[in-house]
Amino acid sequence: MLERWITALHTEDAGTEETSATRERLKERFPRGATRRMTQLGMLLGVTLEPLGLNEDDTVVYASGYAETRALEGYLDSFPSASPTLFQTSIHPSAVQQALILRQQPVRQFFPMTGRACLPAQALQVALLAETPRAILCGGEERGTWLLEKGTASDRSFAFALALSTSPASAVGRLTLSSSEINASASLTLPAFFDLLHARQPFDAPISPSRRLTLTWS
Amino acid sequence: MSAPLPSIRLAACGGLTAFGDESATLSALLEGRSALAAMPVLGREGGDPVALALCAGRSYDETSPPNWLPWARQLASRIPGEGWGSPRRPVFVTSSNFGVGSLYAFRRTGDVSHLAYGTPATCVDWLAAQLGWGPNITTFSHACVSAHLGLLQASRVLAAGLADEALVFSFDFLSPFVAGGFHALKILNAELPAPYQDRPTGSIGLGDGAAFAVLTRDRGDFVLAAQSLHNEMHHFTANRADGAGFEACLAPLLAATGGRRLWLKGHGTGTLEAGRLEASTLARHFPGAPLVSWKGSLGHTLGSCGLVELSLALAAIRAGRAPGTVGGTAPGFTPEVAFAPFDLSAFDSVLCTSNAFGGAHAALLLSHA
Repeated sequence: MLERWITALHTEDAGTEETSATRERLKERFPRGATRRMTQLGMLLGVTLEPLGLNEDDTVVYASGYAETRALEGYLDSFPSASPTLFQTSIHPSAVQQALILRQQPVRQFFPMTGRACLPAQALQVALLAETPRAILCGGEERGTWLLEKGTASDRSFAFALALSTSPASAVGRLTLSSSEINASASLTLPAFFDLLHARQPFDAPISPSRRLTLTWS
Repeated sequence: MSAPLPSIRLAACGGLTAFGDESATLSALLEGRSALAAMPVLGREGGDPVALALCAGRSYDETSPPNWLPWARQLASRIPGEGWGSPRRPVFVTSSNFGVGSLYAFRRTGDVSHLAYGTPATCVDWLAAQLGWGPNITTFSHACVSAHLGLLQASRVLAAGLADEALVFSFDFLSPFVAGGFHALKILNAELPAPYQDRPTGSIGLGDGAAFAVLTRDRGDFVLAAQSLHNEMHHFTANRADGAGFEACLAPLLAATGGRRLWLKGHGTGTLEAGRLEASTLARHFPGAPLVSWKGSLGHTLGSCGLVELSLALAAIRAGRAPGTVGGTAPGFTPEVAFAPFDLSAFDSVLCTSNAFGGAHAALLLSHA
């Protein structure tokens, strides 16, 4: 069984909020003018990561199924004169990079992950196997436009950041990942995992065919 | 982090490039051949010529299903063992692009059939079904260091006793989506790359690539003796000018490299600043150790490059001879840059490095078990 204590949790549930509204709502949380160049997911993740005070020795695990949907849509629409800015912004780890480059905050270990039905289970395993005293598990999605119409983007925007420690000091919760009886249909999607975190909801059930999540709050 | 993990062994490793498998690729590299050729950046829609290396016979223009499947399937047929993707035999898939070329094809043609492969998850689910893998698949996407993340996490899962064997599978096949992006960044054009060569302008080429590695705790004659990562988070497309990111990635590995007779397989895409920083940092820590890059022949195989080039380094060690830095000529950024093939009998380990957007760095040390 793998376990860590939750020492901090920050969530942002933007739902169907437009990027411009998110920018207006969150601009004071960033250096002046910085949000003009940020994606919605970059802003949402930025404000959940900022209170955690990342340091270079934290392991950062980032989970997103679709990641930079708006930048990807814009980049695809920019052809045949491909946009270099949208190309570099559309890469999978971009949201975390936007937040950390803004603060010039290096991190030794950064694991950007993607997936679908079992993404939280996979990301949790990466975070819980980290050798550093603190692991940051963060993630999120941003609502798409024309890709959403085709069923290939998230229908909601959200972000979360969890600080996971090997020490119970100041813990607000506890999280364990254990082996479970094989259950081929067991899954927990990233939006469902976010909802658990956002509501600080206890949980004890299989979240992938062979892994069980137990989540308790103080 | 340098791996304080128990040494993880390579039970099998194979690669695929525009030349074919790792044996065919090694032969071509030793002969100094290049797979790169100029072709229109947007494929059938034209555009400027750029240096690309595609698998022989594969069309650059996307099809539905993606036309790279036969090459992926051919490579996967060489993976030993069964039951991949089951609880004790996890798969770690890594890529930078997955099937995003299919999204490009959809946007250009309106053919919705492309959408079935366009997101990372749909692409991996489809590939897993094609290759007969179970659901225990973990997927990383960190641009051009993606493969290193798969190798490190597979090592951790094995070290923790959570798996009996682990498969790392990396792939990136070119499309106008990615070539168009690098062309827009003005580092991909018709000029062939010359990694580590001290010349006035830099350029890169891009190539198809895929590779696999089966990792175990106790089987195989080569070992991943140490692994390291570092992320500068300084700039999206540039490294810190003082080379601090390269230093920070190497620092945890220095103890593990002590006393070893090293050669160096660098990242070396053909860009000037990154190449100069990489070569000078490596020369400072490993004076006299020959440094090579093979991207001047194969192109940059993006998220798969760490594993593709590991398979080639392994093949070179088995053959006793390492290819030089194809595409370049002296003078190099440092005297250690090897432009010609060299004998490997004097060496016992190779340090393999990769870099990516965001100032991401990765390195691993491969040695005889």
